[in-house]
Amino acid sequence: NQVKKSWQQPALEVL
Amino acid sequence: MLHTETIQLSDLIMSCEQNIVSDMGGEKVMLSIRNGNYYNLGTTGGRIWDLLSENISAQQIVEQLLSEYDVDQRECEQQVISFLEQMRKEGLVLVAEKT
Repeated sequence: NQVKKSWQQPALEVL
Repeated sequence: MLHTETIQLSDLIMSCEQNIVSDMGGEKVMLSIRNGNYYNLGTTGGRIWDLLSENISAQQIVEQLLSEYDVDQRECEQQVISFLEQMRKEGLVLVAEKT
């Protein structure tokens, strides 16, 4: 089984 | 054909070329030459950006992320579409209807 990475919601941050 | 309607999973997503992208500690940071803004795409957003190097549909992006991340499909679809909408609003990607 492939170990899956934990999910982080994708978000676009304007710096 | 490019469109500005709500992004569908079948739509093709293309990255705009007028951006300078850099990896910073696992997160992707981008400078838009077009509007002069700096953006942080984060880690997941950076992975999505990498996937845009080929002509790819939103559905294919979701499928790839589902194979890499521990996430529910519906949640992934909604959040990816929302992220792509943000990117399009800032002029970082183009969206085309699949013909």
